[in-house]
Amino acid sequence: MNPTFTLVLSAVVLGLPTAGFLINALTAGKLPRRVITLLGPGVVLGSFVATVILLVELLAQRAAARGSTVVFWHWLNLSVGPAGGAVARSGFNANFTVRIDPLAVLMMLVITGIGGLIHVYSVGYMAEDPGYNRFFAYMNLFITSMLLLVMSDNLIFLIIGWSMVAFASYALIAFWYQRPAAVAAGRKAFVTQVIGDVGLVLGAFLIFLNLRGSNGHLLHTVDLQTIFANVGPGAHFHNGLGPMGGGLVTLIGILLFLGAAAKSAQWPLHTWLPDAMEGPTPVSALIHAATMVTAGVYLIARFHPIYQQAPVAAGIVAAVGIGTALMAAIIGCTQFDIKRVIAYSTMSQIGLMIFAVGVGAYSAGMFQFFTHACFKALLFLAAGNVIHALQDEQDIRSMGGLSTRMKLTFGAFLVGALALSGIPLFAGWFSKEELLSSGLALGPAVPWLWVIGVSVNVLTSFYIFRVVWRAFRGQPATSRAATAHEAQPVMLVPVLLLALLAAVVGFLNIDFFGFHPVTVFSAFLQPVLGTPAARASDGIQALALVIGTVLSGGGLALAWAVYGRKVIAPDLISRRLPWLYQLSLQKFYWDQIYDVTLVRPTLACAAAVREALEPRFFDRLVDGVKEGVTTLADDLRTMQTGFFRDYALIFFVCAVIGLVVLGLRLA
Amino acid sequence: MTELFPGFLTLSAAMFALGALGVMVRRNPLVVFMSIELMLNAGNLALITYARYTHTMAGQVFALIVIAVAASEVVVGLALITAVYRSGRRLDVDDLSEMRE
Repeated sequence: MNPTFTLVLSAVVLGLPTAGFLINALTAGKLPRRVITLLGPGVVLGSFVATVILLVELLAQRAAARGSTVVFWHWLNLSVGPAGGAVARSGFNANFTVRIDPLAVLMMLVITGIGGLIHVYSVGYMAEDPGYNRFFAYMNLFITSMLLLVMSDNLIFLIIGWSMVAFASYALIAFWYQRPAAVAAGRKAFVTQVIGDVGLVLGAFLIFLNLRGSNGHLLHTVDLQTIFANVGPGAHFHNGLGPMGGGLVTLIGILLFLGAAAKSAQWPLHTWLPDAMEGPTPVSALIHAATMVTAGVYLIARFHPIYQQAPVAAGIVAAVGIGTALMAAIIGCTQFDIKRVIAYSTMSQIGLMIFAVGVGAYSAGMFQFFTHACFKALLFLAAGNVIHALQDEQDIRSMGGLSTRMKLTFGAFLVGALALSGIPLFAGWFSKEELLSSGLALGPAVPWLWVIGVSVNVLTSFYIFRVVWRAFRGQPATSRAATAHEAQPVMLVPVLLLALLAAVVGFLNIDFFGFHPVTVFSAFLQPVLGTPAARASDGIQALALVIGTVLSGGGLALAWAVYGRKVIAPDLISRRLPWLYQLSLQKFYWDQIYDVTLVRPTLACAAAVREALEPRFFDRLVDGVKEGVTTLADDLRTMQTGFFRDYALIFFVCAVIGLVVLGLRLA
Repeated sequence: MTELFPGFLTLSAAMFALGALGVMVRRNPLVVFMSIELMLNAGNLALITYARYTHTMAGQVFALIVIAVAASEVVVGLALITAVYRSGRRLDVDDLSEMRE
């Protein structure tokens, strides 16, 4: 790989969206509208082209040599100093380096490729919005931050990207700042992100402070490749993070997962994601389906050397992932807001990815990320077409019968729904079945986890086809639904392209010359993620595949029976098992639980301080200071001439006198 | 590199002295501000020179803090100048002397 070429391309990938953001933000809408329209999506697509060239360049290498580090600039470099000076204390540096390897390039492809399509879609969706340029500025900022997060080869810049992503997400969720609900949702998302940031930063500190090199010395490094190379148990007793009996590395794993859970909307930090649907629909597609929420999956896949040393932490990751997947799938079955259904679906699918990276099936998790980005962005954008056509109506009870008036959107949504449910030959089928079966061989508890995973799939195909039937089939419920019309081409073309992707990307993972369903994709990621430690036998995998597929189809058939043929009453569950229905409808009461346990005590505490301490203590303190100052000022005010230069002169003369006295004493 | 250190320190001292002179003799608040910035940056130069000389980080970190303080100071100061200008006053530090006794 030519280093200069890679450097230039990486700079282009990162620099274009940054430039787009700066231009759009600094001109504050003074640019002609046509320029904004070209600039916003253009920079992202340019970035995508550069990423594709990087991919081609990467594929031209031998598999083992894929991966290079590019240093943009040196920063805080303490290791070099002139000979004869004082001894350099450590080899610390915080160079701005990016890592171009298969994992990073995969993320970059999704961020710029899918992100680019969503930008194009936004041209149509946001066309009438007064904040047109502000929207593209934020979107470009998001792309920049996300690229920085996945490309960085340095803990510090990774954390910077991580936090910038949180900010961009806040700005975009609260984009319609006139709506109190949107502002509250943005704030909630940001606060949750910051809780996660604390975990990530503490984890990074612990790595920095405790990592030892092969000679037993503390490394004090923030370079990711150095960290990963030294994290395992080596020949030396004090190597890596081992000397504290594994407790430390487990703690680090849990802290990093706290950050990942906040980004990826996993329990217990999941409540922000459904609320984030207050943002514009392209934002939901870009941030809350395709890219940002998968940053947690990326983080765990990237830090897998640490999780391989910390089985307990990895187990917690897997358990939280599968638990969140099941919980979100149950909630998704009863929601009526079309975007919220898809949001809970996202939470559930990301739970599966987190489960996969928790049990060590890293490439299966990343493959699920890749297909999910395609079909979930598709579902959101198709839902956006519907919402746009119905003048911002999001309730599926007010839709119905749209398949005749929005044929192309319906077709695209159907492809997305089939891919999401894991119907054979669509993208989701390949990734989900691989994900679930690759976990099968990894331990005694895993068959049970597989059962939970399959139930998640059944629920998934049920709730998404519930949306299909209620929104697109049947009779129009309102006059707006009856007069809806197809979206304009600029919104339709990205949707159709994504539908094409959702239908075919699954085939990327097929080795056409052997039985194993898993090869091409994991072989691509193998230099970074390694090969899975264990895998089930072909027979068990095939059996799991057949059972899983049949059951997913069963979920689809159930939705058809309930909402299509209406042979089963939709209110069967709410009549027979009202507690389960309420649990699902009220989203497992997490918002209420947090309200009672966290929000109200905090507010009560603040109120108590205001009542008790404020008048008796702080007010008196302030009054006392005021009186003291008044008294003193009466004495001192004669010094005030009002001329600035007098004060400066007095100040400098005193400083000079002080320095002279100090010099005399030292001499 | 080491042989340049006296030069840097001399430059720093000269910048500081020029800045101090500017603060005392100029009447336009904007120019006074620029003079203050000159003094702050003279200080930064000295800090970084010594940091480089002793191969320690403290001076560099302190310089970053000085930059942050300078930025905040400009924010407040420019806001004051704008407020004075909006009230229709002439921008002259000698005119702004209501605070005297």
